[in-house]
Amino acid sequence: MTVHRSDRPLLEIQDLRTHFFTQDGTVKAVDGVSYEIGDGKTVGVVGESGCGKSITALSVMRLIEQPGRIVGGSVLLRGRDLLRVDDAEMRDIRGNQISMIFQEPMTSLNPVYTCGDQISEAVSLHEAVGRRQAWERAVEMLQLVGIPDPARRAKQYPHELSGGMRQRVMIAMALSTNPELLIADEPTTALDVTIQAQILELMKSLRERNRMAIMLITHDLGVIAEMADDVVVMYAGQVVEQSDADTVFAKPHHPYTTGLLASIPRLGEKRQRLEVIQGVVPNPLNLPKGCLFKRRCPHAMPVCDTPPPLQEIARGHLSRCWLTPAGEPPAVGPEATGELAEAAASALQAPA
Amino acid sequence: MSGQTWADGAAIEPIEASASLVRANGGAGRVLLRAEHVVKHFPIRGGLLGVTTIGAVRAVDDVSFEVRRGETLGLVGESGCGKTTLGKVILRLIPATSGQVYVDDRPLFDLNATQLKEARRDLQVVFQDPYASLNPRMTVGEIVGEGPLVHGLTDKAKREELVRELLAKVGLNQSHIHRYPHEFSGGQRQRIGIARALALNPEFIVCDEPVSALDVSIQSQVLNLLDDLQQELGLTYLFIAHNLAVVEHISDRVGVMYLGKLVELADVDPLYAAPKHPYTVALLSAVPEPDPRRRKKRLVLKGDVPSPAAPPEGCRFNTRCWLREQLGNPERCETEEPVFRDVGAGHLVACHFSEEVTPQAIASAAERQLPVIGA
Repeated sequence: MTVHRSDRPLLEIQDLRTHFFTQDGTVKAVDGVSYEIGDGKTVGVVGESGCGKSITALSVMRLIEQPGRIVGGSVLLRGRDLLRVDDAEMRDIRGNQISMIFQEPMTSLNPVYTCGDQISEAVSLHEAVGRRQAWERAVEMLQLVGIPDPARRAKQYPHELSGGMRQRVMIAMALSTNPELLIADEPTTALDVTIQAQILELMKSLRERNRMAIMLITHDLGVIAEMADDVVVMYAGQVVEQSDADTVFAKPHHPYTTGLLASIPRLGEKRQRLEVIQGVVPNPLNLPKGCLFKRRCPHAMPVCDTPPPLQEIARGHLSRCWLTPAGEPPAVGPEATGELAEAAASALQAPA
Repeated sequence: MSGQTWADGAAIEPIEASASLVRANGGAGRVLLRAEHVVKHFPIRGGLLGVTTIGAVRAVDDVSFEVRRGETLGLVGESGCGKTTLGKVILRLIPATSGQVYVDDRPLFDLNATQLKEARRDLQVVFQDPYASLNPRMTVGEIVGEGPLVHGLTDKAKREELVRELLAKVGLNQSHIHRYPHEFSGGQRQRIGIARALALNPEFIVCDEPVSALDVSIQSQVLNLLDDLQQELGLTYLFIAHNLAVVEHISDRVGVMYLGKLVELADVDPLYAAPKHPYTVALLSAVPEPDPRRRKKRLVLKGDVPSPAAPPEGCRFNTRCWLREQLGNPERCETEEPVFRDVGAGHLVACHFSEEVTPQAIASAAERQLPVIGA
């Protein structure tokens, strides 16, 4: 692997917009999402089903299918906009520079080819190697991901393996070309907790060994806390909070993040009642005006009818909420000071 | 799995005449349900015509436990450990291979069809998948009201009122009674499933992974609802789940299953604070904590769960056991099946060497782990 070093982050997603044009209307699945992933960094993307975290990843890979379309923004991989390269180049980038693993390994592996065939296909598509070499490489990869007796396993079909083994095969295939970025979409959600532990440990070892960056998409805050350097919280197609992992877990700012963290039962903390986030995720065809979270938000205020911008509330800590960095309601009016208050005031004055 | 309702039961009393509160206060702590040596084997067919039995999946293999009135007994384990099968067998949803379940000292497996109908008024179930367990062609009113109607407890005229009451109880909008399941979100569907379970005014509800298909922010709503209903109606739950934190939150006592066996059963606090079975230790250690400052050195089990069609001899956990390795692989683990024994204060555990499960032993096992990647 050739490691380019530059000042730019490995991946920059800028104002990405992916919309689905359905019969019932336009679903803005990803609506102005920006975040970046540095070399060798793990960014955890967290949110509930339908928040757009997977669609963002698929957009990066340019795997959006009808009726969806990327309608705006850019995805820069080492400064090159993936949304503007041609299909042949994109095929080259997929697998070589960016690989992806999915939640359900059974549906992402081809049932009629052996595991070894599938990995060696990936290898030979991206490197000029002979069949024998590609097969050897496949066996090597299976060994790397901790599959016992890899030579025998390579000759087996996906259905002959357990869920954890299949996910290892997926990882082996994804890593067979030494990608700089691994996109892992709920990689352990379908697995049991002891197997999940095995896979997480495996991913940690591999990212150290290959100095690989990971976009880790999951709804499991435990997995995020365990793996991520930075965290992106998404809600209804937007990034609502973003910072390093310690800050997001210790000092969350956005009421959605705060609510999520408070609502999960934790080991060793027996509480009488769990906190809840009231209500449900809004219908994507009928989003509220202004802040998308306001109907469920305990802090909802009149200013929330205006969409809050994603603002830096502390160094490197972004939040899409009108609350002041200290979590107070913003003062709006001539006496108000500060960037957020000014933004709030101008938002209120701006014509709708 | 679709549309599993108790369509065959008998009449129940109207909700307002419920004796639940009396039950809750009067009978708390007494045994409601007792499972004795319950076994469920699924035959594996083979041979030329596929009619010869060539083996058996030992899904539940000699499990005994009690559920006390008013408590929540949590049941955890990995997929394939038999927890769901056990839940179904003790309700006689599927026939047991052997063993017996006593509900209020009545042997459930020996009841005839009429007696079973009657007994089932008290035994209900909430399924995991709210998308698969509600009949898409029936309205909410029909789904929730079907049980009482078939049992002759209510007629069509009064049904609507009963259903509205139940919908209100589980936090659904009463005016949605004529809607179909697809018009609801996952969390709301699970509430419909719960309303259906409550319709016959049961004492005991098996909750089989009731929140695992739901989003995080919805999970806590449903868990709180189950809590509230238990307090209000004096319900007893068998709560089956793989999420250890959820089970800790909701349970009074917890049982841990591995390959068809109960390996540990204790009050929730001692079980989570000081587990005595090496498998429970590993399960708890595997849970990622939602706090990056508490990233821990974990004890990662090697390999997969063996096939329940050919479980290991002796202790079923011996092929993956870190303690056995630490003790120099004593032969006993492979030859002798451990007895499910009381190691003090009702803490039951099936391990020959549970005394060796100490914080020091756990820490040193976590330290000695081999690297997870090869070559």
